[in-house]
Amino acid sequence: MNSPQIEIQLIAVVVAIACAIPGVFLVLRKMALISDAISHSILPGIVIGFFITQDLNSPLLILLAAITGVITVVLVEWIQKTGLVKEDTAIGLVFPALFSIGVILIAKNANDVHLDVDAVLLGELAFAPFDRLLLFGNDVGPKSLWVMGTILISTIVLLLLFFKELKVSTFDSGLSAALGISPVIMHYGLMSVSSVTVVGAFDAVGAILVVALMIAPAATAYLLTSDLKKMLWLAITFGSIAALGGYWVAHWLDASISGSISTVLGVIFLFVYLFAPRKGLISVLYRQKQQRTEVSLITFLLHLNNHSEERERHINHLQEHINWQKIRSKTVLDLALKNNMVTVTNNVVSLTKKGDEFTNLALEYIITNKDEKIEHMKDDFFLFRG
Amino acid sequence: MEQKIAIKVDDLTVAYNYKPVLWDIDLMVPEGVLMAIVGPNGAGKSTLIKAILGIIKPIAGSVTIYDKPYNKQRKLVAYVPQKGSVDWDFPTTAVDVVMMGTYGKLGWIKRPGQKEKKAALEALEKVGMLAFKNRQISQLSGGQQQRVFLARALVQNAAIYFMDEPFQGVDATTEIAIINILKELRKAGKTVVVVHHDLQTVPEYFDWVTFLNVKKIATGPVKEIFNDDNLTKTYGINYKVAVNK
Repeated sequence: MNSPQIEIQLIAVVVAIACAIPGVFLVLRKMALISDAISHSILPGIVIGFFITQDLNSPLLILLAAITGVITVVLVEWIQKTGLVKEDTAIGLVFPALFSIGVILIAKNANDVHLDVDAVLLGELAFAPFDRLLLFGNDVGPKSLWVMGTILISTIVLLLLFFKELKVSTFDSGLSAALGISPVIMHYGLMSVSSVTVVGAFDAVGAILVVALMIAPAATAYLLTSDLKKMLWLAITFGSIAALGGYWVAHWLDASISGSISTVLGVIFLFVYLFAPRKGLISVLYRQKQQRTEVSLITFLLHLNNHSEERERHINHLQEHINWQKIRSKTVLDLALKNNMVTVTNNVVSLTKKGDEFTNLALEYIITNKDEKIEHMKDDFFLFRG
Repeated sequence: MEQKIAIKVDDLTVAYNYKPVLWDIDLMVPEGVLMAIVGPNGAGKSTLIKAILGIIKPIAGSVTIYDKPYNKQRKLVAYVPQKGSVDWDFPTTAVDVVMMGTYGKLGWIKRPGQKEKKAALEALEKVGMLAFKNRQISQLSGGQQQRVFLARALVQNAAIYFMDEPFQGVDATTEIAIINILKELRKAGKTVVVVHHDLQTVPEYFDWVTFLNVKKIATGPVKEIFNDDNLTKTYGINYKVAVNK
């Protein structure tokens, strides 16, 4: 690996982590779409900033663009507050309007400079190492690495300082307000950080793909954990893996780096969506199947419990009594036998002591919905896991 | 002996989009009562609590908690929002939710430590939820979630408790557990204000009641004012509550 290659990967990882952190909170606040809106509507801010500074990495440009991002949020909320349209409609009204102002500004004034719509929308990581930061005549590295590095460090510091506040205002804004932790301040703080991050990242990965870096790692992490801290770590990990993996996929395919990173993110999400242990699709389908079987088992045991007469418990009559197909009856009977809940003598099924106890506990649970007594059964049976 | 006034509301008016939802409310809640706020849907019951707690800005009027504005008295007040107002799929555990009750006293930036954790575990034990401390909150039943919310209020160790429909969607066992805790709070001299829906249980659970329907209809001891006349005024239909006969 040569030095530009290392620099590109480093920038990609820094961008990915800086996006993943606010992304987690956007996903939890069900505000994923707002990041899309911000990423587009900052364009006029970028363009105006660029006219003033003639530098895509200038702090002023980042500030102006971030302000445009916050204005987007304010406008969306303002339109929404009229009660005439819903939030998604408000978002759909605001960001194309601001974005188109930016597009017109570029077309009218910036035809001959290094700022075109393609660059803004798609970014180009491969060129990032060419733009160097010079300090007292010394080359200290690519400019975008410094910009994103600063944004990332600020984000991490803010996260560490305000983790508790972010958590409570995201989970329960009413309580947060009552406790004196203003959810409004947290909201606009998060919006500002997201805006700054999007602006910083758009140069590297483009305004559209930055949304993928914000949302996909958080959405993937959400499927895997029920702990906010772990969710943050997982999102950071997925973002970094996708940044590095995407770089090498692009290298191998000779394709766009940002496009490849997003593709890798998509593939990771798909994989987790299918195979996540608890929330994954396969696990959910398996659990549903198990639950069906268990409901059948309990129905079967209840039937035995209700009927002492042998006629009702004869193996050949079970089918017609419970009205099941043959295969299902056999599965359920086998399951009951395997768990020592029933015995079969002379083709008549009887509950064992264990089966009897189980049935009574299950009945009590269904009637009272009390959890404590069946705690120990939860590992064996999905049905009781709520 | 003069009884202290815990909550005093003067001329409170709240409007959403210029439509008043609470109109000129005057209210005095004496210290140490267990008060129900009753009224039909859309009467502004939750809004009244939220306006007292400063979550919603009123367009007129003032609120004092022990003679001072709410933002000076936050630490004296605990709040249980409606269970449905939060996303129970949020990645966190029961004990973690209870710890959030300590955030107010901690203030900005400071992190909860061992002391807060211990207080949270004690509160969980009080509501009979200690066994579920590390359970992810979406894996709790509705009644258990409500108890976690109650524990979160207990951990605030406040003088006044506001609860927005704590009995909604809970089973009988949880309802009894909650009301026992509320009665214990009253015994300890705390003031408890509850948005309540089940009129039948008002005389049994509460000693103070406020009838609300955009305007305040009546407020006072249950024994004196919980009658068909006030119920009819509040609900607009001819109400006959057998329990009062």
